[in-house]
Amino acid sequence: MFAVFHEAILDPFATVRKCHDRTGRPVIGVMPAYFPLELIHAAGGYPVQFWGAGLSIEHADAYLPSYCCSVARSLLEIEMRGLAESVQAYAFTSLCDTLINLREIYRRLFAKPTFEFSIPVTPNPEARKAFLSTVVAGVMKGVEAVSGRSMSPEALRASAGLYGRIRGLQRQLYQLRRRKPGIMKNRDFYAAIKAGFFLPAEDYGPLLERLAAELETLPACAEQLPRLVLSGMVFEPLGAQAVFDGLRAHVVDDDFANGWRSVSKGDLQVDDWVAGTADYLFGGAPCCCLHNPQSERHAYLIEKVKAADADGVLFWPMRFCEPDAFDRPQLSERLKQEGIPSYTLEMDLTTSNFESAKTRVEAFCEMIGGLEE
Amino acid sequence: MTQLAAFKKMKELMTLHYIEAKTSTEKPIAWLTSGAPVEFAYAMDVVPVYPENYAAMCAASHQSVALMEAAEAAGYSQDICAYARTDFGQDLLRGGPAGGLPPPRFLICSTNICKTVIKWYEAVARKYRAPLFVVDTPFLHDGLNREVLDYTVSQFHDLGRFLAEQLQRPFDRERLLNVIGMSREATGLWKKTLDLAKARPTPFTCLDAFIHVAPIVTLRGTRPCVDYYQLLYNEVAERAERKIGAIPEERYRLLWDNLPVWFKMRYFEKFFEERKCALVAATYPNSWAGIDASADLHASDPIEALAISYLNIYINFGFEARIRYLAQLMDEFTLTGFIMHSNRSCKPYSVGMYRLREEVSKLTGKPGVVIEADQNDPRVFSEAQVEARLDAFLESMPALME
Repeated sequence: MFAVFHEAILDPFATVRKCHDRTGRPVIGVMPAYFPLELIHAAGGYPVQFWGAGLSIEHADAYLPSYCCSVARSLLEIEMRGLAESVQAYAFTSLCDTLINLREIYRRLFAKPTFEFSIPVTPNPEARKAFLSTVVAGVMKGVEAVSGRSMSPEALRASAGLYGRIRGLQRQLYQLRRRKPGIMKNRDFYAAIKAGFFLPAEDYGPLLERLAAELETLPACAEQLPRLVLSGMVFEPLGAQAVFDGLRAHVVDDDFANGWRSVSKGDLQVDDWVAGTADYLFGGAPCCCLHNPQSERHAYLIEKVKAADADGVLFWPMRFCEPDAFDRPQLSERLKQEGIPSYTLEMDLTTSNFESAKTRVEAFCEMIGGLEE
Repeated sequence: MTQLAAFKKMKELMTLHYIEAKTSTEKPIAWLTSGAPVEFAYAMDVVPVYPENYAAMCAASHQSVALMEAAEAAGYSQDICAYARTDFGQDLLRGGPAGGLPPPRFLICSTNICKTVIKWYEAVARKYRAPLFVVDTPFLHDGLNREVLDYTVSQFHDLGRFLAEQLQRPFDRERLLNVIGMSREATGLWKKTLDLAKARPTPFTCLDAFIHVAPIVTLRGTRPCVDYYQLLYNEVAERAERKIGAIPEERYRLLWDNLPVWFKMRYFEKFFEERKCALVAATYPNSWAGIDASADLHASDPIEALAISYLNIYINFGFEARIRYLAQLMDEFTLTGFIMHSNRSCKPYSVGMYRLREEVSKLTGKPGVVIEADQNDPRVFSEAQVEARLDAFLESMPALME
């Protein structure tokens, strides 16, 4: 059921190359996070999401110090090693200080065009929209120059429908996991989500549909095990997700930037697509990287835990990710006040041995399992 | 540091500032980032408090470690900015030279120095249930444009409304214009003072600038701040006129990029003086003097000019502008080389620094070195490593031509 997804992510660069050769669409690499992929697609591009890679850092260290997160360092490593040769341009966002400067490094080191999707964080909706209109116009001009095609309203409507449908199917997978914990392995679940970073939307959608339909027919796991919610920026390294599959616990939901926070984005409204883009960015689950007084992460996470009937939260932070690290102490404290246990398991994309992680997660699961009894 | 008579006045000013902040019962307290438009606060009789300035004071007085450890014990990762950790620690322990900062009634932060300040201030705002106003100043990858300026100006107007709402009285625009005038006067004097370091021998080093930057950070927009920088300018100008050098012998003239290592100020003073190195220029103190002095000349009104000045900050610019600016400083200040502080606590300054070093060296023909350290955390500072790297760098650098 999941083989096709695992195959797609086994060598993502090969997958992208192959799909690019077949579709002929120019590949635009999308850096973290929340860039509406439908805009690139509507302009004739093939958007591919990059959230880092589990590479040993051999070249990027020359330009990025060790106190940068492994997402940024591995992104640079990908380009320096020439692994992403089919990527013709990159779209960056202003999510954090490291990513902002990373774009500047790319501009100095590589010839590929880069576009900056500067996300305005003022809570004033008029100011936000006015500024965003300039930002998206600039980005789209760059994308269209690479693709050689203009974005028509019809194409945007079609692309918005396509990507909206995909996120809807991904949400269905999340709901299935919540409703029927144990029907799929954690590693398989995230492989299915991750495949969407690289596969063309036209290919990925039907695969997801088939998967969701098959999963609907499976019975839920009869055994009652502790239920966990995971929270962090990225669900990588994928190998670490396998840790849960050998444990007596179910992951029932997540709060990952490349997981639920992205999947929860609604359909892009295209009648006024600049306003639609603003709604898209600030809609869905809150993110530590997007200041939004209207959407408080504490209440949101507590609600999520309750809705998922979860027993605890496992924080899954990437080392040196400041936005995530700043939120955690108060968030843990708030969870504690609500009687929700939490535990922090620091991650790094270059980690390949997960034995120690396994022991620690096991201890946490035993602890919350014990609390239940 | 250079023995300047103005130092006494500065200490007095800063002491008064902290006394007012700690004892004020009538004036509301606001916490501000160093790049926030404090003029709006002064226009409404708000006492601004600067956690960054206080964190630096804690480190300079060797009190930051205990405070950071308290923050870390409360769950804050060592991976986050050491200023923020010092601040969380002073708040928990009521520690540091002033026995802690007074709690904020509201907070104002601006992203022109980093995005990290949003996270830092969100945490404080949550703790004190205090409103937070974020001035979002977009990063200028390709310089300033009309849209960014309009966006920033619109937020300045929102800030006026925010203050009026918080304080339950109309925003005083007339007073703001007056405060802006004094702010411009003070920053102008600060820039003129920094420019005096072009003289040979230099009468004023960037180590001096790191100390004397405090009033321009905390008090810009007030009359005492203007008077202080006039006093400082006069004194430094006289030293330049009389060719009194900041160090006894000047063999090398260097630029320092990034924040200082606050807990090693005396160490670096001695280290460089012994090696006949004058740290003549720095990018950090220039943050309150703008990287383009004429950028706001064509502004349509004082608020627009103010917005330009808050966008016109070195670390808010893309690398092309940074490289050109560094090369300009190398030339104008007759420098023999440059030191870049790869600062674990400041990513906007430090991420990409190795590439900047390569390009600035190539463009100017002057050598540069990157040292790994931290602005506030002595636990990640290796004296032996820093010293070895700097010594190797200095040995390879041609001395100043007569």
